[in-house]
Amino acid sequence: MILEMDNIQKSFGTLRVLRNISLSVDAGEVVSIIGPSGSGKSTLLRCATFLETVDSGTISYMDTPAVTMDEYGNINYVSGAELRRIKSYYGLVFQQFNLFPHYTVLKNVMDAPLHVQKRDKAEVRETALELLRKMGLADKADAYPCQLSGGQQQRVAIARALATKPEILFFDEPTSALDPELTGEVLKVIKQLAEEDMTMVIVTHEMPFARAVSDRVIFMDGGVIVEQGAPEAVFGDPQQERTKLFLRGYER
Amino acid sequence: MSLWTMVLKMSEGLGRTCAIFFLTLLFSVPLGMIVAFARMSKNKVISGITRFFISILRGTPLMLQLLAVTYGPYYITKSLDFISISVARNKLIPVVVAFAINYAAYFAEIYRGGIESMPVGQYEAAEVLGYTKTQTFVKIILPQVIKRILPSITNEVITLVKDTSMAFTVSYQEMFTIGKQIANSQTSFMPFVVAGVFYFVFNAIVDFGMGKAEKALDYYQ
Amino acid sequence: MKKALSLILALILVLSLAACGNKDDSSAAGLEETPTFIMGIDPEYPPFSYLGDDGSYTGFDVEICKAACEKLGWSFEVFGVNWDDKLVQLDAGECDCIWSGMTILESMKEAGYVLSEPYYDNTQVLLVKSDSGFASSADLSGKDVAVQLGTSGEALLSEDGDLADLAATFNSIVTCDSFLKCFTELDGGAVDAVFVDLPVAAAYAAENEGFSIINEQLGAEQYGIAFRSGDTELCAAIEGAVAQLVSDGTYAEIAEKYPDIVNNLLLLN
Repeated sequence: MILEMDNIQKSFGTLRVLRNISLSVDAGEVVSIIGPSGSGKSTLLRCATFLETVDSGTISYMDTPAVTMDEYGNINYVSGAELRRIKSYYGLVFQQFNLFPHYTVLKNVMDAPLHVQKRDKAEVRETALELLRKMGLADKADAYPCQLSGGQQQRVAIARALATKPEILFFDEPTSALDPELTGEVLKVIKQLAEEDMTMVIVTHEMPFARAVSDRVIFMDGGVIVEQGAPEAVFGDPQQERTKLFLRGYER
Repeated sequence: MSLWTMVLKMSEGLGRTCAIFFLTLLFSVPLGMIVAFARMSKNKVISGITRFFISILRGTPLMLQLLAVTYGPYYITKSLDFISISVARNKLIPVVVAFAINYAAYFAEIYRGGIESMPVGQYEAAEVLGYTKTQTFVKIILPQVIKRILPSITNEVITLVKDTSMAFTVSYQEMFTIGKQIANSQTSFMPFVVAGVFYFVFNAIVDFGMGKAEKALDYYQ
Repeated sequence: MKKALSLILALILVLSLAACGNKDDSSAAGLEETPTFIMGIDPEYPPFSYLGDDGSYTGFDVEICKAACEKLGWSFEVFGVNWDDKLVQLDAGECDCIWSGMTILESMKEAGYVLSEPYYDNTQVLLVKSDSGFASSADLSGKDVAVQLGTSGEALLSEDGDLADLAATFNSIVTCDSFLKCFTELDGGAVDAVFVDLPVAAAYAAENEGFSIINEQLGAEQYGIAFRSGDTELCAAIEGAVAQLVSDGTYAEIAEKYPDIVNNLLLLN
């Protein structure tokens, strides 16, 4: 297993956002998480990437425990070198890109591998340029993020996440901040990664895309996983009323 | 006294004016950063105390602070038996101490405003990529903060140029003090005109330099 | 109703005319008709002029001026000038004279100010700490000396002043903006002596322990009153009133209250 999250609970004040959620992702698997806003899908991703701390439950990457729980229910996060190692297992692509505006495209992609992972500069540069080529941005290496369109910025963000060579890549609504005509170029890139057997967890509102690209689709609502299964099953023959209701909203 | 002699005499004090200016910047710019961190500390006691001192430093005239730093230690220790601190002969020391502390308070608030205006996404992106807290601040946050606060810093630096004349209160013989002396002995208004020109030119240089710096950071938005 | 209105209008007219007339008179003549005489002083220059215990300005000069104004039937006001800018403030009309233990300088005459006859012979001395062992100005060679900016002492020690040679023997001359700071610098050990008017030094040494005056009279100078250029008649009027005070004994009466300076008053000796 690349990722295993067990019995995750998370509340903001009195609002219970995640109610006992478990999720495991196998190598090469592409998992899409769909659901109405406020269903907890983004929070699940933020818990998986340690941007939020869980209230209870356990998380492990590559069979290495990252969050453990003792017999009294106290959770414990690993720290130091162990945490750094675990962080290198995953990457996250944000809805708002969050590129570093003062770095060129190439430096955005190269900086973490160079200064966090301390990899060889020539190798990192080659990897970065290769990634940019793959994203169709070879000619933008020396541009600054502000000179790029939203779709181009998001592709740089994907290249940046991939440059650290993660085992699993998370996408948090990667096309929600984009103009409709720019979503295609980003989805195309993600589809290409799926074909290369990249392990991915994608929170998205793009239903046709989720159906086409995923090995498994998870429908979340009210902090729980309502239904999950193969895309044909979830989209073609949903079992739960809530799923049906939600999907009907997306039909034209 | 000819105008030229006046200018020459006042130029002698200009070195001291520059000393106040550069030493104040040298100490207050980094000190302000430390104060800003103390002010933003999660520890309520530290941030509370810092906030209190900042409000005193910004809420009282710099002239009073100059007097307090220069003569305060002497007056306070005067009545004590075990220690006595005399008034400094070299007034540059208390002057720079007072200026650096005062300007650090202003810089700290500018830094804080800049740091707090940074979008949280920058921190999150850095965190997910594995940057340490120090790396995140030095490589990602600080360069962007500097760009954001540079116009406010320029304002403070220009004010500092003019504030140097306040060192006169504690008898530090900088340019303006000499100007006043000449004005008195010559019963002439001319030294003030000369002083005005000096300050204007000084600030024109500051403005030019800071403008260059701002332009150099214009490569991104 | 109509009658009342016209009465009010007439009243307003008369009053405004009277106001105009007043204004014209004061600016044209500036003499006997002047209702208010504003005396410009350094509020920190005891015993000539200072803020008294009751919070109002007092001092020898202030009392004399007040008495003179009474003689002339003028109302009297005190205006505290910024000593460094006193002549600018005089020119600007913020006060009608500078009368505050002011040393008569050649440069003032050259600049066209009207100056009264001197009324006080001032002498500059060096105030030192008693335990310092300094006994003459020569002992202060290579030492630091404080002086108040804008005083005659500062002028004497300046490069083209009468005591420039003495000044050259000092290590440095520290210019302070008030006497209090000069004395604090001395007390606090930042300077070795204060170059100051004799009466000021005498008053300070009498009130504070541990200070003494070096017995050496440096740069004898005289005090007078400065008026704006052209105000010769105003100057004459004040001098006349002061002369009356001298002859009727009021002057001596006031002077007795200020023992530190009484010996130097030219009009009594």
